[in-house]
Amino acid sequence: MADDKDVLRDVWFGRIPACFTLSPEETTEREAEPYYLLLPRVSYLTLVTDKVKKHFLRVMKAEDSTEMWFEYEGTPLKWHYPIGVLFDLHASNTALPWNVTVHFKNFPEHDLLHCTSNSVIEAHFMSCIKEADALKHKGQVINDMQKKDHKQLWMGLQNDKFDQFWAMNRKLMEYPTDEGGFRYIPFRMYQTMGERPFIQKLFRPVSPEGHTLTLGDLLKELFPAAICAEENPRPAALHVNPRCEWGNLQLALPPPSPPACLTTQPVTGTEISLSVPVLPW
Amino acid sequence: MMAGERNPASCYLDERTFRLCCQLFLQHSETIQDGWSWEQIKGTDEGFMKKTVLMPVKPSFLHKQHECSMQDENMVTDDVQANVEDETAGVQAVCEIHAVLRYEYHVLYSCSYQIPVLYFRASTLDGRPLSLEEVWSNVHPNYRQRLQQGPWDTLTQQEHPLLGQPFFMLHPCRTEEFMKPALDLAQAENKRMNYVVTWLSVVGPVVRLDVPLSYSTEVSAPD
Repeated sequence: MADDKDVLRDVWFGRIPACFTLSPEETTEREAEPYYLLLPRVSYLTLVTDKVKKHFLRVMKAEDSTEMWFEYEGTPLKWHYPIGVLFDLHASNTALPWNVTVHFKNFPEHDLLHCTSNSVIEAHFMSCIKEADALKHKGQVINDMQKKDHKQLWMGLQNDKFDQFWAMNRKLMEYPTDEGGFRYIPFRMYQTMGERPFIQKLFRPVSPEGHTLTLGDLLKELFPAAICAEENPRPAALHVNPRCEWGNLQLALPPPSPPACLTTQPVTGTEISLSVPVLPW
Repeated sequence: MMAGERNPASCYLDERTFRLCCQLFLQHSETIQDGWSWEQIKGTDEGFMKKTVLMPVKPSFLHKQHECSMQDENMVTDDVQANVEDETAGVQAVCEIHAVLRYEYHVLYSCSYQIPVLYFRASTLDGRPLSLEEVWSNVHPNYRQRLQQGPWDTLTQQEHPLLGQPFFMLHPCRTEEFMKPALDLAQAENKRMNYVVTWLSVVGPVVRLDVPLSYSTEVSAPD
C-alpha cells in the first residue's frame, strides 16, 4: 500500500484553477471583479465556494441573494458531481483557468438539485459512499461503522484532511480475499451525449474462470466506444475518484496516447468516475 | 441444511425478475385502468414504470409552503399543516376550490441495492416544481415522524439515473426491513408473491400513491 499512498495523495490533492465571473444578467451596484480559486477535484462545488458567494454578494443588493448556482458555456453545472468529473466532462480540452459563470437568479429547477446547506451535501456524499459499499460489501462495512466514523469521513472531505479521511476510508477499501475481492466494482461512466447522465452496471472484479479483470475489460464490455483501435486514438478524460486505489499512476492522468495502458492494470479500486467525451466520426 | 428447513426468502430481486414483476403489474393496471405504463430506454432492455396522478389539495397548502424560507435545512415541523385531510378545516373546505398538484411516479430498478426504488416529481398545474418542504408536508401524517428518524434523509431530491433530471426519491435502505416479514409470510404459506406489488403497496401510500387492493389479489408472481 506504500506506493499506492503517493497515488492516493496525488489524487486527493489534485486541483483545478478556476475563474468565477458573475453572469451579466445579474444586477449589481458596483462592477463585479472575477474571483480566482483552486478547486479540489475530489470535492463539490457548493462545498468550496463560500468565498465566491461572499465576493459577489458584496456588489449585489441583499434582496437578490437567493441560491447560487454555476454554469459553464450555457450548461448548468451539477454540484452533486465531484468537481473533477464536472471539469473532465465539460472543459477538459480547453485552456486553464476554467471559466465558470456564477448566477443568483433563475435557478434551473429542471436541471439542478437544490443545495440549501452543507447538510444536503453531506447527505449526498454519505449516500454515494453507502451505495458504493452496497456494491463492494453488501453494505456490511458501512453499516458496522459508527455514526462518528461516518462523520469523520465527511469532516475529512469538508476540511480537506487526507489522513482523517483515509483513516476511515481504508476500512471501506479492504476486501475479503477469500471471495476474490469486492463483490462488484462501484463505478460510473459519465457522458454528455443524450439524456442518460451515466452508465452504471454490475461488474465483478474477477471473471468466472478466476482471472482478475482490468479497467480495459470493464470498458470493453460496457463502453466499447471508449476503447479504440491503435490507429485511431480518441482522447478519454479519466477522472479517478480518491475513494479508489490504483496500482498504476498512469490511470490518474488523461492518456495522450491510445488507451492501451488501461488494459494492463488490475482493477483494485472503487468509485471510478470516467468521463469519456465521445467524438463524432 | 436439515431436511424440512427453509432458506429465508431473499429480500432482493434481480433485474430480470423485476421486469417480469412489472409486466404482470402492468397487465393488471391495464385491466383496471390504473394508468401505469412502461418506459423503455432506447437500445437497451432497461426501463421503468411510470404513472401521472392529479391530486387536489387545499389552495392554502401551496400558499403557505411557498412562503417557507429556502434557508431552512430542517424538515417542516408539525406546525405546518398539510391540510389535505384536516377535519377542522372541513367547514371552510366545502366552499374552497381545490388547487391541483401533478405527481409523476417512476418505479426503477437499483442494481446497487438489487431492489426497486420509487422516484417521483411534483408540480403545480402551471408547471412550478414543488420544493422539498412542500413535498414533505404532503407526506401522510402517519409516516412523517418515521421518515424523519432516518440516519440519512429518507426523502430527498436526487438526480433521476436514467433521465438526468431532479426527482424526489424514497431512500431504499429500509426496504429489507419491511419486505422481509412479507416475504417470510408468503413463503410460510407456500404462496409466491409479486415483489413489486408488495413493495409498492407499502411505499406508495407514504407519498400519496394509491395501489388498489386488487393488485395484491389478482397479480401473480413471475414463474
